[in-house]
Amino acid sequence: MEKGLTVRKIVIAGVLGAVAILLGVTRLGFIPVPTAAGNATIMHVPAVIGGIVQGPVVGLIIGLIFGVSSFLNATIPLFKDPLVAILPRLFIGVTAYLTYAGFKRVSEFAAIGVAGFVGSITNTILVLTMAVIRGYLAPGVAVTVAVTNGLPEAVVSVIVTLAVVVSWKKLGNAGKKKSKISGDF
Amino acid sequence: MKQPLIRAESVSFDYVVNRNDVIPVLRDVSFSIYPGEYVAIIGHNGSGKSTLAKHLNGILKPIAGNVFVNGLNTKEDKYRRSIRQQVGMVFQHPDNQIVATIVEDDVAFGLENIGVPGEEMKERIDFALDAVGMSTYRNRPPHHLSGGQKQRIAIAGIIAMRPQCLVLDEATGMLDAYGRRDILRVVRKLHREGMTIVTVTHHMSEAAEADRVLVIESGRIVMEGTPREIFQQQEMLHQLQLDVPEASRMARLIHDQVPAFQSGLISQQEMIDEVRRLSGIRGADAG
Amino acid sequence: MAAHEFELTRNITIGQYLPTGSFIHRIDPRIKIVAFTVLVAAIAVCDTYAGNIIALSFVCLLFRLSRIPVGYGLSGVKPAMPFIVILAVLQLLFYGEVASGGTVYLKYGVIIITSESIRLVIVSALRFIEIIFVSSVLTLSTSTTQLTHGMASLLKPLKHVKFPVHELSLIITIAIRFVPTFAMEMEKMMKAQASRGAQFGQSAWWKIVERTKDMFPLIIPLFHVAMNRAEDLVLAMEARCYTPGGERTSYRKLRARPGDYLVLLFCLLFSLFLIWFPY
Repeated sequence: MEKGLTVRKIVIAGVLGAVAILLGVTRLGFIPVPTAAGNATIMHVPAVIGGIVQGPVVGLIIGLIFGVSSFLNATIPLFKDPLVAILPRLFIGVTAYLTYAGFKRVSEFAAIGVAGFVGSITNTILVLTMAVIRGYLAPGVAVTVAVTNGLPEAVVSVIVTLAVVVSWKKLGNAGKKKSKISGDF
Repeated sequence: MKQPLIRAESVSFDYVVNRNDVIPVLRDVSFSIYPGEYVAIIGHNGSGKSTLAKHLNGILKPIAGNVFVNGLNTKEDKYRRSIRQQVGMVFQHPDNQIVATIVEDDVAFGLENIGVPGEEMKERIDFALDAVGMSTYRNRPPHHLSGGQKQRIAIAGIIAMRPQCLVLDEATGMLDAYGRRDILRVVRKLHREGMTIVTVTHHMSEAAEADRVLVIESGRIVMEGTPREIFQQQEMLHQLQLDVPEASRMARLIHDQVPAFQSGLISQQEMIDEVRRLSGIRGADAG
Repeated sequence: MAAHEFELTRNITIGQYLPTGSFIHRIDPRIKIVAFTVLVAAIAVCDTYAGNIIALSFVCLLFRLSRIPVGYGLSGVKPAMPFIVILAVLQLLFYGEVASGGTVYLKYGVIIITSESIRLVIVSALRFIEIIFVSSVLTLSTSTTQLTHGMASLLKPLKHVKFPVHELSLIITIAIRFVPTFAMEMEKMMKAQASRGAQFGQSAWWKIVERTKDMFPLIIPLFHVAMNRAEDLVLAMEARCYTPGGERTSYRKLRARPGDYLVLLFCLLFSLFLIWFPY
């Protein structure tokens, strides 16, 4: 499956990258949650989904696009640091893919959900770790943020990932034909 | 007889939904398209017309039978690039065909793919943008353009590759009346200049512009002929859930009232001429 | 919900290119990217007062040279002010232990304020402003298309290790190309749903699942729109003879002039100076 970039992989990475950018620059990427942080972001979900449906390379590239866009649009110092904004994001789609590939045999549905969770947690943990290493956050604060922000984010990520990927795969089977003939056959 | 540009021989095609479910889409379809022709393929939704169009440049390959483009079989991968360069295709959704962030870059995309050297590209891009009347927009981002303009860019991207044949797969389907008129004007001009045109459409007035019409129903060609021959058979078309051009319907209605008025008209221009002719006669009578 | 909240397209700042025709605008994008990277790295490392003041004056100079109104840079900083302040306060109060060098000014329970922690606070605020300014100069003076071409060209040597340089730049181009398209689509969807009386995020605040579901009518279609467009685009690209990994020529040719190299050299020297500046 992982043999180079196909046209489909290139295009899906591109459009999901566009979604990641769009979620980042509009309010759409923020879902209000009941924690001090106030918002759970779903900007990393395109990378998770890309990893699940098209493999680790696509997941990594979408993560890169997400990272660069969050770096360029950052309004808080933390994310004006490429080591915090970009580097950790590369792994989101990759861990999501590995989780999905690992659990797929157990249950497709569970695999997608767990992948959504792991991808999101990857984002939280790596970003906060980098933030601590780079001296933006004290370790205690980072742990608090991980719990108050990371967990709701992971929950939201699971829901969105499941909703999108499951309907996509379902559509995918009936839709293999649709994909080739764009609605009219 | 001239060599056909595209020759389809007993083409059949199925969609495999899953292992047990196979939907036959094309059944034993044969036809030829000759250089310089203007052919319209019509049929209602689900008739297989769009699937047929996608066989013309090897995007889909027949399950049985063969399609040849200038004698090259679309089933052979080594001819793929050559075939797609000779038969260009414009699709329905204007937004989903443009790759680049700047108009001229998008026109260049196909040229880069077929390895046209940098110096020659500019010339070809100038020509293509000029042919579709979009030269002044060359440095614009595509999202600032209207649907019709985007579709003209898509056509420019194809004709820059210098194909012999342009296939329009419902290319006007998503456009408003203005956009459609612009596209038709461009297509007419390209045809006059020698381009072979195949258009898949459900706008009968567009089909009326062609030299030849193929009517598809349930994956077979059920009627074939000049637009005039086809649109004479209103009842038959009606059974196939197809319409006739506005002009044909009107001509018939008028013919029922005024027998002198010809019934077999298919275009607006013919209507105007007919009205002129008749009013000219009446003018003479009065004088 | 206020009408302006629908206007996503207006808020999109990716590619905020402002053509003023300055000499910085005309510099080869590759040179600009390299110079930018080096400068950001130097700023990230530089942690002295004097070094940061010099860096700040330098980036302000860049603004002048690119003939971009400083307001554009400040507008990038403005929304960040509350964060900068909050972060500064937090760092000031709780960072004393980590940055424990220097004179201790105040010690009260966990709160330790030292000359080092004060330096850290001021320097990180300055650094942040500098980085915002430098990146504003880059993005305001270079179109996204140029940036992508520049990146692709810089990464070209990686082709030898089978790194898909062109594919990557194509992916980024597609992403940039579709952001405004999706934004307009979203706008339409939001308006349509608002006109049917939909309200976003009105569930009780503790119900995460409900609140997420409230966003579903927007988020899920967004992904679907993206995936469906992808299918069409695959066909269109194939029809235009695109083969991944194939030999291609390229329309855009980048040419660096001698002056561009001078700029690069100057930025390199300046960055080294910042890194090794002793005060």
